[in-house]
Amino acid sequence: MKNALCTVGIVAPLLLQTGCVQMESVEAWDRGYLAEDTMQWETDARSARLKGHVYTSKEASTGGSGAAGGGCGCN
Amino acid sequence: MNPLHSNSAFVRSLTRTLATLPAYQTGAALADAPPAFTEVGVRYSHYSEDDIDASSVIFGATSRYDIDITQLWIEAPVGASWSVALDVQNDYQTGASPWFVGTDQNGQPGVIMSGASIQDNRVEVGVATRYFWADGNAGLNVSHSDEDDYEALSMAFDASWNTAGNTRTWTTSVSNSRDKVNPTQGVIPVFVTNEALDTQSGYFGVSQILSRTTIVRVGLNYTYSDGYLSDPYKLNDQRPQSHERIALSTGYRHFLIDANASVHFDYRYYADSWGVDSHTVELGWAQHFERTTLTPYFRYYSQREADFFQVVADLNEPHFADDYRLSSYGAMTLGARWAINLGDWTFEIEGERYWSDANWGLYDGDPAPALVDFWRGTIAIMWRFD
Repeated sequence: MKNALCTVGIVAPLLLQTGCVQMESVEAWDRGYLAEDTMQWETDARSARLKGHVYTSKEASTGGSGAAGGGCGCN
Repeated sequence: MNPLHSNSAFVRSLTRTLATLPAYQTGAALADAPPAFTEVGVRYSHYSEDDIDASSVIFGATSRYDIDITQLWIEAPVGASWSVALDVQNDYQTGASPWFVGTDQNGQPGVIMSGASIQDNRVEVGVATRYFWADGNAGLNVSHSDEDDYEALSMAFDASWNTAGNTRTWTTSVSNSRDKVNPTQGVIPVFVTNEALDTQSGYFGVSQILSRTTIVRVGLNYTYSDGYLSDPYKLNDQRPQSHERIALSTGYRHFLIDANASVHFDYRYYADSWGVDSHTVELGWAQHFERTTLTPYFRYYSQREADFFQVVADLNEPHFADDYRLSSYGAMTLGARWAINLGDWTFEIEGERYWSDANWGLYDGDPAPALVDFWRGTIAIMWRFD
């Protein structure tokens, strides 16, 4: 399973790099929607860290989306 | 440390340390310029676990944890290319947690709780600095966490750089944490003193703008821990001395112009050397209103039990644990976040409800009797100024 994960983790960036994923050219002046707070991976980084840490403390899994920072350690 | 020590403090600290590692910071690329304003903020959160079902308890209290979390921070630009941030957090917890799982007179598994008068306090201080240049940024973060039975010092470095006309952002990070474990004696006996844990972690990922309204990302975490990984406050808990973890995470954001809203989708696959693997899916909808944004979200999580997990631990095995967090189960979360912007001030209110159940999981396994449900509520105030 780890090999599969590594493969995906390496291949996906390569797909982007080699142009195999459909992409539009977006000029800098046309990125207003992308710049909205709600379009960020973490709208509020500290809130996301706290939330992620609660899950980390209650579940066996760690890492991935949003979990970071000194959370509450709710256990 | 209060003599009636929490048996959760160790694992709490352990998971906190792992969560602190920046390898888990898979956020979007930061704008490659320091923040335009200084921000000062305070956030208070209350976490409350439901009582455990009395029919699952053989001995002890049915109440579980309540935790009060206070976060204070200041983040400011320094010159044209740098920023600095100081974060301070205090956690205060009270309650009880499962000590071990035994069997009742009918042979059914049940929980023996630790006691209901646990108190503990933790203080964490973190300092971060970041340098920005035209096509990227890099940051260094040092944090120290202290409580009576656990001390952690972690350091992390991360960097992001943009390519392809600034439509693609590559991100990497590495981190290390050195922890000291000194369990304290309380209402339950503890047989461990002066243990240590060393953790290294790395992350590599990329995000890509697909259109003026869509962005995606993928990233891979790898974490290796070596040292004391058991929970000294649980009677039947003897875990391996090393732990490898890997997580593949993906994300999608799409802005709906007509609805003035953003759609969020995140997925993570996780696997580790203890036999645990899991799937996590989170869906969100961020609806913009005048001056406010409301973001309801739903999260589903399912994990496979660790190789050495048993509902009632077999002490003859080389490794064993009856910790419900290592069992097979599924969990669902419903939550919402409301942000209100009033000039230089931002107010946030957030709440979520978490339910877990052995029958909701994707994997087979005997149900642990102490699965947890909880509430979390948060309020925050932030002030930005020149």
